[in-house]
Amino acid sequence: MSSEKNVYSRKATLSLKISEFEVPPMQDMLIIGRKAPIGPEAVRRMAEALSPEQFTLIKMDHPKIEAVLLRNTLLQMLDEKLLMKIVLEESERMISDSMVLRSELKIAVSIQREVDLL
Amino acid sequence: MTISEIMTTSVSTITSGKSVSYAAEQMNECNTRWLVVIDHGVVMGVVTSRDVLSAHPNRIVADAMSGYPSRFSADLNVWEAHSYLQEDNGEVALIMDGERLIGVLTKEAVRMKIAEFIDPLTGLYEAPYIQYVGEQFLKENIPFHLLFIDLNDFGQINKKHGHPFGDDVIRRYSSVLASLASEKGDHLCRYAGDEFVMISTAEEDQVQKGIALLTQPTHIRNVRISAAVGHVNGYEEPDFFSYSLRDLMEKASLESSAAKLQNDYPTFAT
Repeated sequence: MSSEKNVYSRKATLSLKISEFEVPPMQDMLIIGRKAPIGPEAVRRMAEALSPEQFTLIKMDHPKIEAVLLRNTLLQMLDEKLLMKIVLEESERMISDSMVLRSELKIAVSIQREVDLL
Repeated sequence: MTISEIMTTSVSTITSGKSVSYAAEQMNECNTRWLVVIDHGVVMGVVTSRDVLSAHPNRIVADAMSGYPSRFSADLNVWEAHSYLQEDNGEVALIMDGERLIGVLTKEAVRMKIAEFIDPLTGLYEAPYIQYVGEQFLKENIPFHLLFIDLNDFGQINKKHGHPFGDDVIRRYSSVLASLASEKGDHLCRYAGDEFVMISTAEEDQVQKGIALLTQPTHIRNVRISAAVGHVNGYEEPDFFSYSLRDLMEKASLESSAAKLQNDYPTFAT
């Protein structure tokens, strides 16, 4: 007769990380690749559901980039064509057609005026 | 011959928010290559198996649909649908009764119907095609030249050289005709046996050159072949639009018979 006891145990370890959910999660801009797992219409619907009337979807005629989702306030500060030109120039170097890029875009306006003294 | 005869009334549908992979499963289940996309009763478009294959499976259907399909009413003529769909990249068109979807028309169904009217010997359209084109032009008050082309002594050619040779003559002559009717405004059919009909909106001098070429005897394997051409000029014919196409065909056919009687060329010679 064996003195050894058969021991069997199953245990699970939980690891929990909690942080605040950013609303909206897409910051200022999303750049959507042509073969990305999420398409422009899905992105537009997501943005509309999370932050109604705050984002605009711009379809692109580009081999890799299908569309760009942009915060409306940015378009109020800068011309759309100029903004898109810069976005494309910078993002097309790193994006593949299956990617969605998230971008933070801040515009700081610096002004210097000269006025006549009284 | 309207598209109501060939449209599919059993239509499988999907909503635009479903995933592409779900659309693929639905297509498999319903044994179809397309699904009509409907959101809240409104037709949004069509997603096809080609769309599904080229899109990421995680995408929603709204992001996979390619373009917007043509919309036709069920009483549209098949020939007209064929010409519209030739310029359309889509595989299917929606058949609507006002805003209500009543069926779907596939390019394949149209092609199969049209193929029934293609003469197997020459590859040219048969008479119903020219009937449609002529009636359409008359309806829209578009003048045209109507040519009735009849090979001379074709019966005797068949008797002397055999029917297979007769078939060769028809094939060769129809390819000459097809090369003449290459302009966009030209429509050609093998009307019956050794008779062909061409409708053309080309300039008068171009048509006359064509007639001269068609009536000029040619040789096929040393057998002289010629044709008589009856010509109705819709640009000069008084009250052209008061005639039916049948009247105009009769007129052109009689002119071709008269030209045959005046034919100076020997019946046929080897």
